[in-house]
Parts: sequence; structure tokens; C-alpha cells
Amino acid sequence: MLFTFYFLLFTFYFEEDVLADSSNDLNWTVLLPVVAGGLAVWYMLPSTKRRPMVFGALAGLIALVGLAVFLVSGFGDQIPQTVEAGLFFGFSGLAVVFATLMITCRNPARSALSFAIVVLSTCGLFLLLAAPFLMAATIVIYAGAIIVTFLFVIMLSQHGGLSSADLRSRDPDLAVVAGFVLLAALLVGLERVYDWRNVDSAIAHAQQLAEAEKIDPEYLTPLTDGLGDPLPLTPKAEAFLTDLRAALNRVKVASPRSMDDSRLTDHKLVQEIENDMNGLANLGFRHHDAETIRTNCQKIAAGLSRLKALRDGNASFSDVPRSEHGEVKPIGNGPKQLPAANVSAVGRTLFSDHLLAIELAGTLLLVATIGAIAIAGRRGKSS
Amino acid sequence: MISLPHYLAIGAILFVLGLIGFLTRRNLIVMFLSAELMLQGVALNFVAFSRAHGNLHGQVFALFIIAVAACEAGIALAMFLMLYRKKRSLDISLWQALREPGLEETRDTVPLPVEPKEEPLPVLSVSGVEPARKERDYA
Repeated sequence: MLFTFYFLLFTFYFEEDVLADSSNDLNWTVLLPVVAGGLAVWYMLPSTKRRPMVFGALAGLIALVGLAVFLVSGFGDQIPQTVEAGLFFGFSGLAVVFATLMITCRNPARSALSFAIVVLSTCGLFLLLAAPFLMAATIVIYAGAIIVTFLFVIMLSQHGGLSSADLRSRDPDLAVVAGFVLLAALLVGLERVYDWRNVDSAIAHAQQLAEAEKIDPEYLTPLTDGLGDPLPLTPKAEAFLTDLRAALNRVKVASPRSMDDSRLTDHKLVQEIENDMNGLANLGFRHHDAETIRTNCQKIAAGLSRLKALRDGNASFSDVPRSEHGEVKPIGNGPKQLPAANVSAVGRTLFSDHLLAIELAGTLLLVATIGAIAIAGRRGKSS
Repeated sequence: MISLPHYLAIGAILFVLGLIGFLTRRNLIVMFLSAELMLQGVALNFVAFSRAHGNLHGQVFALFIIAVAACEAGIALAMFLMLYRKKRSLDISLWQALREPGLEETRDTVPLPVEPKEEPLPVLSVSGVEPARKERDYA
């Protein structure tokens, strides 16, 4: 079980490093499915030792449930119980399960058939993403032509049943560790980029404080006679400021680091928010200045919203000084409208924007055809 | 709603599973299927970004991925047939002569488990006298 130990060590180290400033130090929604999935794949890979399949199946089930929980709750969106959500979870579950079976089956013919099911499920996801032409093309080319060619090659080359190459795997421990550490990195990265919940709650909290008629006394540090060291902040105020700081760290991720880079307003905005937060702590909470609390909270909420909109790609860039790379257009949040006539629109894009690329792709196909004929047509000495 | 990061997560999972399959499996065909699985994950990412940005360039990228994968499949399967004719096996470790100079050859140390042999079917000894055959039976 040395492998498991190393795996846990790697993952713990990694998670702790990445999520250092988050309240959830060990990100269990990512850690659980990744560790369980790694164990399941490691159990089921071909090996010279006979392992009980029950553990592999159990770990795989845990990983799937954990993945579903991660997808439902990880990105902060509410997933409504619509047909779309059902289809998405069905197709992606099928794709993940059969991809696992594909890499763990000892028989290559079964691997090829599992890959066909993975391709069909991915085509379902393509259809959900409004790409019907791509779905049809992928089914015809992948699930039709390529898989059938694979099955022919397997038929031509597997005379004596399973070979010893199918019953072993090379360095499964290291490969599974490497793969699933990469997966954990990608999932944590996705969560950190797309999860806005702590920023939203901090902004809402600041707005609530800015609009309050009377400041809750739990925020205010008891007054002293002005001599001696200032008293520490109350727990509630401290928690509020910690939330604000975490939200600021979250939205300033991509802001320029050097002090003299003044082309983007981000940096100034970040500094203003930091000053406002210091003022809020010292002047507002320690000296009971209700007006400072209100105005600073207002400014902090506005600044955080502005930075969040910039990160989101949802802001209008009219008040942002342009970089030397020209005009910056807002990307926008959420799905945009795609043309209903998908085939004609794809064709127009292909033959106007990507004309040279499609010519090159056609040439590549021609060269590959000639090459395949030249290679396969040569007769070996043994035949 | 189901948004961009959900599809990106599924694409990442498909890519990682393909990566593990490519690194561990030793059958040429399964390795190649794993590479195709990685391409599927990437294509899913492209289509999801195409939907999120509201233009069709992502779908065009996915189309090019399909074209390149088709080329790759044609060439690779032709090569597999040729390699199979030389060595009579699709085991990748038979081609270790192509490895980088200075690297040790990888050898399998753990023997494969021996399958228990099936009991041979009982053979009955011949009893009695074989009846004489007539010529016309063969006609």
C-alpha cells in the first residue's frame, strides 16, 4: 500500500498549497472523488496479481457519487431539475464509466467497443452544446469508421487470444498518481476560477452593513478612554474583514503586480479597497464612526463588484484604459446565442475565416492516405 | 444551469483517463485508443468554449481535431499491421530497441499467474473387433 500512502501525501500537500487562503483547507469535494477514482483505476488496471474486483467497483461508485456532488455544488450555480441537467449527467456518467472500462479492459476488442460508447456519449454532450453537425460528423467518423477499422486490425492481429502484453500494465502506480494529481489540479483550478460564492456573500454582507440604519453593536469594539493599546476587533468584525480579504484575494488574482504598471485601473482599485478596509477597521469599528462604516462598506462593495465583473468578462470595458493590443471586448457570462442553422454557419466560418487551415487539413488527409497505402501495402518477409 | 465549468470538468476527466491508459497499457491498439480518448476530452473543451463565447470557432477547431485524428488513425493502423507482420505481436515492449540510448531495457520480473490446466477428456480404449468394411460403403 506504499502507493496509496504516496498518493495521499501528494494530494494532501497539493491541496493545502493551493487552497491556503480558503476556509476549506482540504477541499473534500475534490479530494474524495479524485482519491476514490485513482484507487478504482489502480485496482482495475491489468496486473499479474489477482485483485478482488469488488473493491475497485466500490471505489469507482464512491468516485462517481463524489464527482456528481462536486459538479452539483462545486461551482456555486443552482442546478435546476431540468431535462438538460438529466441528459448532461447521464451522458457524462456514461462517458466517464466507459472511459474507465476502456483503459482497464484486458481484451482490446472490448476496449474498442467501450471507446465507441464514450464517443456516442460525447456526441450527446455535443448536442447539448448546440453542435449538431459536429455530433453527426463525430458519430460517422469516430464511432463508424475509426472504430470499425480498429476492430479489423484487432481481428487481423489477435489470433492466439490475449497476449502477455494485455495481462500486465507498465508502472501503474506512478501513472495513476501523475494522472490524478493532474486531475485534482485541473478540478481545483476550475473551482477557483468559476466559484464566486465567497465573493458574492462578502459583497452582500458589505451592502447589508452599508444600508443598515443602526450598526449592530456586535461589530463595534468597546470604547476605552483613548489611552493604551487599542482593543482587538470583535469576532464578528474580524470574520467580516477576513471574508472581505479573501474575496479581494480572489478577484485580484490577475491584476498586475508591479506598482508602476498604471495602464489598468485594477491595481488602483485594489489599493483603494485595501485602504477602505483599513479605515473600516480602525476608524469605523474601533471608534464607532457609523458614517465611515457606511461609506466604506458602500465603496468596498462597489469595488469588489467591479473587479468581479472584470474577472468574469462581464464588464463593459469603456472606462478601462486599453492595452497596446487594441480594443478589448467583453466576453460575457453564460451561454450566448448561436445561429440556429448550424451547418450553414459552420460552413461559412470554415470557408471564410479558416480557409487556409481547411486547405491544409485537406492536404494532410491526402498525404496521410498516400502514406497509409505506402506503409500497409509493403509485404513483410514473414508473410 | 449546466454551464461551462461542468463540461470542462468532464473534458479534464476524459483527458486524464486517456493519459493514464496511454502510460500504462502495453497493447499498441489500446494505447492508440487512449490517445483518441485524450483528443475527445480536448474536443469537448473546444465545443464548450464555443458555446460559452457564442461563436463557431470552437466547433471548427473540433472539426480539425477530427480530421487530424482520422489521418492519425489511418497511418497508425497501417503501421500496426506492418509491426505485427514483423514480430507477430502488438506488445510495445518488443520494440524497445528503438528506445533512447543509455536507457536500461525494461524487463518483466513478476511472472504471470499460471492458469490451472483443464483435465484432459477421458479417452476410451478400443474394445471388441472392428467390423470388416465392404467396398461399396465408400462409393
